[in-house]
Amino acid sequence: MALSLEIRGVEAGYGAVRALHGVSLDIRDTETVALLGTNGNGKSTLMKCVMGMVRPTQGSIVLGLDGAQHDLTRLSTEQIVNLGVALVPEGRRLFPKLTVQENLLLGAFRPLARGAIAKNLAFCYEAFPVLQERRRQLAGSMSGGQQQMLAIARALMSAPRLLLVDEPSVGLAPILVSSTVSKIKELKERYGLTVLMAEQNFHQAIRIADRGYIIVHGEIVFDGRSVAELEQNDLVKRYYLGT
Amino acid sequence: MFSADLFANAVVSGLLLGGFYAAVAIGLAIVFGQLDIVNIAHPAFIIAGSYTAYIFNSTFGFDPVLVGVAAMPVFFAVGVAIYRIYYAAFERTGQESLSGLAFFFGLMFIIEVSLILVYGVDYRLVSAGYATGALSIGFVDLPGRMLVPFLVALALTGLIWLYLSRTFMGRAIQAVAQDRGALQLMGADPIRIKQWAFGIGIATAAVAGALLIIIGPVEPSVGRQYIGRAFAIVVLGGMGSIQGMLIAALLLGVVENMVATFYGPSWAPAVSFGILLLTLAFRPAGLFGR
Repeated sequence: MALSLEIRGVEAGYGAVRALHGVSLDIRDTETVALLGTNGNGKSTLMKCVMGMVRPTQGSIVLGLDGAQHDLTRLSTEQIVNLGVALVPEGRRLFPKLTVQENLLLGAFRPLARGAIAKNLAFCYEAFPVLQERRRQLAGSMSGGQQQMLAIARALMSAPRLLLVDEPSVGLAPILVSSTVSKIKELKERYGLTVLMAEQNFHQAIRIADRGYIIVHGEIVFDGRSVAELEQNDLVKRYYLGT
Repeated sequence: MFSADLFANAVVSGLLLGGFYAAVAIGLAIVFGQLDIVNIAHPAFIIAGSYTAYIFNSTFGFDPVLVGVAAMPVFFAVGVAIYRIYYAAFERTGQESLSGLAFFFGLMFIIEVSLILVYGVDYRLVSAGYATGALSIGFVDLPGRMLVPFLVALALTGLIWLYLSRTFMGRAIQAVAQDRGALQLMGADPIRIKQWAFGIGIATAAVAGALLIIIGPVEPSVGRQYIGRAFAIVVLGGMGSIQGMLIAALLLGVVENMVATFYGPSWAPAVSFGILLLTLAFRPAGLFGR
């Protein structure tokens, strides 16, 4: 039951704009890895490359799953989801005119997840009681914090092994950021997930991360093998810690 | 002259007519309401359904409703094929708004002209035992040729509603136009979802066509009368809401019938457009829009 994600020399962009320059990183089973960087440095692009939503022009992205190797650059987004990779996308991307429960049930579209749908739905409602209270409400009519919870819960409904979370803190009040990040850790432990979290909020990210990478202008500039190493890094001191 | 039984009859036959309208509009509620595809050829497919029922009824004496139901898989396959062409030629390159409209306009003419070439412009009809009888409750008459289409249309609407709200595929159909990228993240292929939904939409035309020819004789260009009505019902019903569509269809049937009864039949076709214009002006999301 081993999982690994190996990204090697990925180049990607949008038209003439290059967003990623030879990005390499590794994620091992049951780790929580933070991808740290401010806006516009390529965090979301890298997430989209893993999900097959943006095609790298060079490099490889290999998902190791129980001994089998899957080259994600050759698979469609649907196939990648069916392997057990889920993304909580930037901007949440809920279906605004469907109810909370309909959004959650769509999360379990993946054939493998359909069998466990009752169990997973019960767990999501237990983890996020507000979603159960509002299960008949249209997703688009909820507050930002509730929508973020729904987006995370919907991703979990696909029973993923690897969970990618793109900027969970964006648009949330500080107290909600803190509780959302704690929730990700709790869910990760409960499901035995492996997590890659892109985040610009350094303090929140290192609360739950085992280690992290710093990405600047589409390049990995620092590979922090522990939270302590990240905290000692000059870039981090300059940009985040203000020292 | 206003009288209670005239009024009651106008309401009841309006409801029966409205039920049939639901069968006409339900395919569009999926294709236009859920997928945002402006299939103005939908009524032409309904006429194709009418002729299918006519052919099997006049040759083998089969019941038109059963023919309509049996023809659904064939119509479904045709719908899937048409969506594939539409997707490859227009949607993939983002040209669906104008070129796509022209495509369906052309499709409408091809169906009409093909039927005219083979069967001429004469009115065709089917024979079924229930079409000539009538049920009377008090002073209200329920003619079989209206009652049977009404019941079949309600059953069709109920089944489609259950399918859309209770199955994985149905929920994906509801979601695909809202955010297709997000649907991919759920592990669903939006193109396959859309072609499946389009197939279902066209399949309903097989049944609606059979109902149309039970109600009255049909010739190839009759479908045009239903283009405005069907789109008005879908918009009125809130674009894609099946319950909204059903209520809008019943409402339109009753109002049209009242106008026809008390002001004269020539005003009836104006009703759907009148209601449509008022809706767009005062409640653009439709009467039952989410």
